[in-house]
Amino acid sequence: MAFQFEPAIVLETIPMLMRGLKLTVEITVGGLFFGFFLGSGAGLMKISRNGLVRLLAGSYIESIRGTPMLVQAMFLYYGVPLAIGIRIAPITAGIIIIAVNSGAYIAEIVRGAVQSINPGQMEAGRSIGLTHTQAMFFVVWPQALKRMIPPLGNQFIISLKDTSLLMVIGVGELMRTGQEITAVNFRAFEVYMAVGLVYLAMTMTIAKLMKMVEKRLSVSQR
Amino acid sequence: MIHIRSLHKRFGDLEVLKGVDLHVKAGEVVCIIGPSGSGKSTVLRCINRLEEPSSGSIIVDGHDIMARQTNINMIRTEAGMVFQQFNLFPHMKVLANVTLGPIKVRKMAKDEAVALGLSLLQKVGLANKANNYPQQLSGGQKQRVAIARALALQPKVILFDEPTSALDPELVGEVLAVMRQLAQEGMTMVVVTHEMGFARDVADRVIFIDDGKIQEEGPPRELFNNPKNSRLRNFLRAVTAA
Repeated sequence: MAFQFEPAIVLETIPMLMRGLKLTVEITVGGLFFGFFLGSGAGLMKISRNGLVRLLAGSYIESIRGTPMLVQAMFLYYGVPLAIGIRIAPITAGIIIIAVNSGAYIAEIVRGAVQSINPGQMEAGRSIGLTHTQAMFFVVWPQALKRMIPPLGNQFIISLKDTSLLMVIGVGELMRTGQEITAVNFRAFEVYMAVGLVYLAMTMTIAKLMKMVEKRLSVSQR
Repeated sequence: MIHIRSLHKRFGDLEVLKGVDLHVKAGEVVCIIGPSGSGKSTVLRCINRLEEPSSGSIIVDGHDIMARQTNINMIRTEAGMVFQQFNLFPHMKVLANVTLGPIKVRKMAKDEAVALGLSLLQKVGLANKANNYPQQLSGGQKQRVAIARALALQPKVILFDEPTSALDPELVGEVLAVMRQLAQEGMTMVVVTHEMGFARDVADRVIFIDDGKIQEEGPPRELFNNPKNSRLRNFLRAVTAA
């Protein structure tokens, strides 16, 4: 039986993926939203003057970066409920995993960006009487944020793609939806092509959006 | 206004200040000169505790800056600072650079701060640049904005850390002119500078620092015309030869 590529199946599959797509978007947006706050906190903690605070942030970042997300997902969804006796809904687990995982990488992005700002900026802020926190918030952070945009865009794309791993904990996202379709029609070639195209459309959208943000922020400044 | 006693500062093994005593009266203009690496900027940065003194005492406007109960942020509003590299906030317009302190630190109402900011920009001759971003300004203009930013807190003293050293020669004059005007208005100023002409004309007192200590101090006429210390003589010979 010779393989025959059926482009029509690709086109038919795409609408069937929309349910999964919705979940993928929700988990990505939710995960990155919390991940950004987590990462900002951990990134700032990493440059704290308090050694214990630095150690805390460092342990978080290292343990997440040093283990596969697949292991983290299985651990949180199958392992943790055994220990605490509460089942976590797959979508909640998905958002937590993306948040915790992206947070570790975002922390390094934040740390790098904040440290790249000339120390004279903090000094000038302190010299007009701002507290360390105020100078960070009003002076250093807005400048650092601009430098974070390109690497953040990169991380957003990575996290979006990483949501496909959540199929192993039964989240009916895009990838799993595709898999379920192939289980019925056995057209793995066309279906996964469709799945890939949908991911590509989303990642390209993110890249475009980040470019727009970057451009907008650079209008006023160097 | 400022009383520094036996100030020492070490960076690791390197002792930068080896016991500095300096007293600045209200309304006085004190210029600190000396070779690079002599510790003169460090003295200035200790006064508002951007640099932590290793030992000694510093009293600013009656407040011991090392004391636990002293609010250092409050001291910093009384002792404004102007930096060699300007350190304007590049993401804010010129006016916002000037009003940030009054609004966030002094809790001034926004329109009041704007009025104050505009009047200070007027004073340094840059009212027309209020809505520009710092990178659209020349070095001299940036430094004048930085002076307006320091003035916005209505400080009792302004610390100038080599304010003209990063400027192109033709832009030095406009900054010195603003500083001269401040001096005439009675502002207390401590100026670390390489501008001997400014020190000679404007300073009430000149301090020569080398090797972490005050080697000689006195009225500019005396210090420049009749230097007693051999290091100072060598230094003056070197800077005037240039």
